[in-house]
Formats: sequence, C-alpha cells, structure tokens
Amino acid sequence: MGHHISEGVGDLRLIGRFVQQDTLLTCISARLAHMTEAVRTTGLYKRFGQQIAVGGVDLVVPRGSFAGLVGPNGAGKTTSLSMVTGLLRPDAGTIHIDGFDVWLDPVAVKARIGVLPEGLRLFERLSGRELLSYNGQLRGLPKREVEQRAEELLTVMDLKDSADKLVVDYSTGMRKKIGLSAALLHNPAVLFLDEPFEGVDPVSANTLVEVLQRYTASGSTVVFSSHVMDLVERLCDWVSVMSRGQIVAQGPLDQVRAGRSLNQAFLDLVGAGRDNDGSGEEGLSWLGSSRA
Amino acid sequence: MAGLQQGVRLGLGATVALFFRLKIRLIAGNLRGEVSRQIGFVFSLVAAVAVAAGGFLAMSLVRLAAPDMAVNLVIIAFAVFWVTWTIGPLLMFGVDDTLDPSRLALLPLTTRQLAAGMFTTSVTGIWPLVTLVITSGAIAGLAAGVAGIAIGVIAVLLQFALCIVTSRLVTTALSGALRSRRGRDLVAVGVLLVVLLSQAPNLIANRGSSLDVERVVVGMAGILRWTPAGTAAHSIGAGGLQAVIGLAAVALVVLGFGALWIAALKRALVTADTSTQSPAGVRSRSLASRLLPDGAFAAVVAKEFKYVRRDPRGRVGLMAAVAVSAVMVFSISGGGRGEMSGAWLASFPACISALMLSLQSSNAFGIDGRSLWMNAVVFGTPRDVRNDLAGRHLALAVIAVPIVTAVTLAGSFIAGDPLLAVPFALVGWGVLGVGLGVGAVASVLLPYTSPERINAFSGAAPGQGGVAFLGSFGSLIAGTLLSLPIVLPPLLGVMWWSALAVPYGMGVAWAGRRIGGAVGFGRYPEILAAVSRPS
Repeated sequence: MGHHISEGVGDLRLIGRFVQQDTLLTCISARLAHMTEAVRTTGLYKRFGQQIAVGGVDLVVPRGSFAGLVGPNGAGKTTSLSMVTGLLRPDAGTIHIDGFDVWLDPVAVKARIGVLPEGLRLFERLSGRELLSYNGQLRGLPKREVEQRAEELLTVMDLKDSADKLVVDYSTGMRKKIGLSAALLHNPAVLFLDEPFEGVDPVSANTLVEVLQRYTASGSTVVFSSHVMDLVERLCDWVSVMSRGQIVAQGPLDQVRAGRSLNQAFLDLVGAGRDNDGSGEEGLSWLGSSRA
Repeated sequence: MAGLQQGVRLGLGATVALFFRLKIRLIAGNLRGEVSRQIGFVFSLVAAVAVAAGGFLAMSLVRLAAPDMAVNLVIIAFAVFWVTWTIGPLLMFGVDDTLDPSRLALLPLTTRQLAAGMFTTSVTGIWPLVTLVITSGAIAGLAAGVAGIAIGVIAVLLQFALCIVTSRLVTTALSGALRSRRGRDLVAVGVLLVVLLSQAPNLIANRGSSLDVERVVVGMAGILRWTPAGTAAHSIGAGGLQAVIGLAAVALVVLGFGALWIAALKRALVTADTSTQSPAGVRSRSLASRLLPDGAFAAVVAKEFKYVRRDPRGRVGLMAAVAVSAVMVFSISGGGRGEMSGAWLASFPACISALMLSLQSSNAFGIDGRSLWMNAVVFGTPRDVRNDLAGRHLALAVIAVPIVTAVTLAGSFIAGDPLLAVPFALVGWGVLGVGLGVGAVASVLLPYTSPERINAFSGAAPGQGGVAFLGSFGSLIAGTLLSLPIVLPPLLGVMWWSALAVPYGMGVAWAGRRIGGAVGFGRYPEILAAVSRPS
C-alpha cells in the first residue's frame, strides 16, 4: 500500500505546478483517499414511499480489507449494498469505488466489482457451467480463458459433479457457491456479498471462507453483510455497524469491539442491550403454560 | 388461551367475512404506493365494467330471438363460460390471483372453514363479479314471471358456483403436477393442446359455412344441454318442475365438485415438492457459440436459445404463435376462396404470425426476471444493452423466419399461386423486424415480471396486469401501424414494393434497439426492479 501512496504523491507534485495551493490540498486528500479506500459513500440516502431505508450513510472500506457490514434486519444493509453496486438508484449521495463514481463512471466501476446480491437470483435455466461461461463472455473475457477459470472455480467450490445440472435444481449452498464463482470470474478488485452465508451448510460455508480468505490475502477487498457475529469476528478486520438506516459505528474490528465480544458490542450499538433488564416481564404473561 | 379458543369457534359467517376482508386487503396491498399498478388496476377495472355491461346486454338481447333459439344460445353461452373457467386459469390470463392455500396450512381451520374461506377468496375479485353479471343477463333474456325470475336467480348462482368450484378443482388437482418443475413445464405445453382444441368448433363452423347457423346451434345446444352448465341454462327457459329437478341436479354436481376440491386441497397441502429430484444433466455445445465470434453477443444468443428450449414460458409463447398461425391457415383454407383474394391468403396469416412471434420480445427482460442483475452489474454503456437486445433479436429471428416462411408458403399454395410466396415472405420477414423493433422499445418502457410458476395463472406479477396489458397491446398496435407501409402496397398489387420490406423491417428493428439501448441503459435499475417482483 505504501508504494501506492508515494506514487500518488509523485503524481500530485506534477499536478501541483498547475493548480492553486488550496485546490492542491483537496486533490491530495482525495487522491490519497482513493489510494487507500476501496469504497466510500457520502450521504447515501434512499426512501421507499414513507419509509427511509437508508438515511445518509457514509460507508468507508479501506482497500485490501475483509469488511463486515452488520446490522439488524431492516437496518438498510441490502439497500445500501444494492446502491453501491449500481443495482438500485440512490435518491441522494455519492458512491466511489476505487475512486470512480458508481453512477457517473459505470464502465470503470463495473469492471472492478464482483457482486453476489441477496436472495439466490440466478439464470435458473442454465447449468452451473453455462452460467459461468455466460457471465465471463458478457464481460468480454476470451472464451478459452473463461472455460479454464470456470473449470478451476467449479473444482475449488466442489461443484464439479453438478456443473451440468440446471441451476434451478441447485440447493442453497450450491447456489451461493456458483454465485460467488460468477462474481469472482473476472477477478474483481472489490467483492460485494450480501448474506453469503445465509442458509449455507457448514461444509459449503467453509469452502466459501477459504476462497474468500485466499482472495483478500492477495490485497483484494471483500465487503459482506451478515447476521452471524462469530463469523464476522473471525474473518473481518474492518466492521461497519448499521442500525435504522445509519452507520452507528465503523472502523477496525478491535476499535469497534472495544474489549467486548462483537456480539455484545453490536447489541450495545443498536440499542438492544439496554432493554433486556426489565421489559421482558411486562408482556407475554400468558406464554408458557399451555394447559388451556 | 383466549386466542386458541376463538380460532376454533369462528362461525361460518365470520369465516366468510374474514376471508373476504383478507382478499380485499390483499388486492389493496398490491396496489399500495405504486402509481403504475394503480393505473393498471383502473385499466382492468374499466375493461371489466365494459365486458360486464356488454356481456349482460348481449345475454339479455337473446329475448329478441325465438324462445327455443334463445334457450339454445344461453345453453351454449353457459357452457362456454364453464369451459372457460375450467381451462382459463391454465391459460395464464391475468384474471385470477387467488390465495395460495399452502399459506393456510398451519392455521387450525376445519375443512368446512377452509372450504368456505377458499370459496370466498375465489369469488372475491373483479372477474368473478363480471361472470356473475354476464350470466345474470340470462335472467333478463329468458325468465318469465316471478317464478321464472326466482328460478333464474338460483340457476345463475348455481352456474356461478359451478364455474368457480370447477376452476378451483382443476387447478388444485393439478397443483401437485404444477409444483414440480417438470410437471409445470409439461402442463405449460399441454395448455397449447387445449387452446388448439378450443379452436376446433371454430374450424368446424368455418369449414361448414354452407351449413346454416341455426342447425349448428341447435345441434350444439342439444349436446351441451346435458352438461351441468347447460342444464342450469335450460332450467331458466323450461321453468316448472323440470327446472327444479334440473337445478337440483346441478346443485348436486356443484356439491360433488366442491367435495372433490376440498379433498384435493387437503392432499395438495401435505404433498411434497418434488421439483428438485431431477438430476438430469445438460451439456450442450451451442451452435451459436461456435458460429458467432466470441463475445457478449454470442453469449446472449446462446443463452436465449437455451432458454427457448428449457423455459416453458418462452416455449409456450412461441408454440402459441405457431399454433395460431396453423389454425389460421387451416381455417382460411376451408373458407371460400372467392371471398378472399390470393394476396390476402398468402399475406394475412404470414403477417399475423410474424407479428405474434416477434412480439414475444415485447417483454424481453421479463423472462430473465430477478436474474437480470447479472447483466446489470456488467452493462456500463448503452451499447451493452443494445448488444443484448441484438442477441435476443437474432435468436428469435432464427426461430421465427422459418416459421413465417412456412406459413407464407402454405398460404400461397392454398391460394393456388405459389409464386405469391416470394413477395409475401419478404413482407412477413419485414413485419418480423418491425415487431422486434417495437418489442425492444416496449421492453424498456413497460417491463413487467413474468411469473415463474405458471400456476399463478397470470401473465404478470400481481398488480402488474395493467402494465402487461398496455405493453402487449400497445406493441401490437404500434407493430401493426408500423407494418402497414410494407404490407398494404403489395396487398393492393404493387408487388415490387415487397423488396423494400426486409430493409424497412431491419431498419425499424435497428431503430428499436437504438432507442431501447439508450432508454434502457438509463433506466436499467428501474427495469430490474420491475421484472424482479415477487410472483
């Protein structure tokens, strides 16, 4: 990462001859940020009818990190990720990936990102192998290259035996694995995964984790949303906590945890921990004695 | 404690009221917050009122016919309604969005409550009401005196119940088959046979244009009179004891069907989904990927071909177009040759089939549905969308051109002038291009979700029926209008004009892709949302 920065500063010296001092400072900070940040959103906002799904989110993910986006249901994780990946138009705010604006420079952004959206939406009537090949060719990769990469991905993901089955007949774990394969096929710089481990059996989950760890070890970035705190704690070095359409905490894992377990930190942050003491006693008095 | 007991003690009237409110809420919920859905709803409401009023009027006008004839006509009408309700839901028209019974499986409902509730939700809706209004036109058309009206009302209500219960019985009984993927695919194709069969009387009527209509009506009514629907209609005309016996018989049939329906319902609720137990592999080396230069275009064409083969929705559309063309050729071949000029015979079926085939593309992204995100995360320029449309166009054209050619050949042979096939094949191909161009624009302007489950009995996701209607009829009208410049001159004898048809068609298709690419890229997230609705 260090030589990236010095390279950037070198560029800036060149630029400095032509621009004013204050502009230069803005340039430096922006350029440095682009050097080190894979994802930055500012004031991201989305409303569905009366409901504000995402109310001004400033998401930051440093380059090369394994980042977890956690939050209770309805916190706006999926909506945020959809907007960041260009699948949903934000009402306001900007999104930059590797310094490129998602909505102004879609070509540059789309070449750099891989996406596994929520749900299991895939081309159901293609086989796993055909799905990968379609995806690769659509991205303009040479066919031979696509076939070779697909073959390797299918092997690693343990999908070789089912490669020629239609995706419509795949189980949840297989779908997540083929979806991740499709997202990795063009070797993106940043990978966005929405609930990649939801409904996945431990064996498949382990495969997913291994592939993702290998991927981030090479300096690429993963952003994934999850409910499973243990997993986030084990895998991530960067955490963003969302609650009610806002980011309530963001930073390196240890900083967010601040000595607690991530689960406790999460409960404290989203305001669920406080209420645990007395309120449970008030209602539900009829529950638990089903003699009637 | 209280909750448990209330659930069990819900009376029949309360159950009916509860389910009625539930259905109304479901309809209202589907409309909430979506202007396009609301417009679509208003649209279908207006259509429904028009159909109901027209139907009622037509039914009541049979009074003008001779009494015997009037009864015969109503018998046929009732029978047609019954058959329509029986097979209609399988034809995927957006007329019915009934509650899925499996959602009620965990509620502690007695069979009686379940039956009453399901019946209530079935009859709560626009189209059941339209049916009721039209059939009650028979009272105005046939009944005489107070007793006659009383019998008429009972007959109409029984006919209504018969239609609904039969419709439910058929769909529920088939729901097991409809739940498995292969069964669903099979049924989708089987539906076409039903469509073809339903054309049979039409064909016979066309063939025997020398026969007088009256004899055909009397003959048909003589047979249909013995169907439950026919008996109900007959009773209105007959009156007296005969009517009472007839109606009692119909009531028995309704109850019997109802019992069968409930039995089927209970079975369907606990029968497992077997759709994933088909380990058959597919491995095909697509011709498209071998012939076309490597790239996104070839990928789209290959994918489209696979979808035509493997997705029943696409297949049904194509096969329906082929079937309609065949029926048209067949029926005009029986019609009087003197009435139609050879040019008409050669061109009309060809143009209709070309338009129908090409308008399969008028909701190009609908079949991709929720998987369209995969394109969305790749497409970075309008050119990508255009390329995608072009791939779809090529795939469809490869299938459609031979069909249109065959239809033209058949038409011109029947016309007795095989040479006519040359200009009119050109015209047909031109119309194909026009349809593709129009379809590309419609696809980006009025996209809608094409339900994955064919037993949803709808061409669109709940609430999108209006958009689907606008999309398909709008593109039909636009396609027809844009086709006229190449269809009319050859039809009027200016044969050399047909040489312009293919360039014109390709031009329109190109322009459609151009507009579709530019507009479509700008609103890709919105298209994605429109085709990804739960269905």
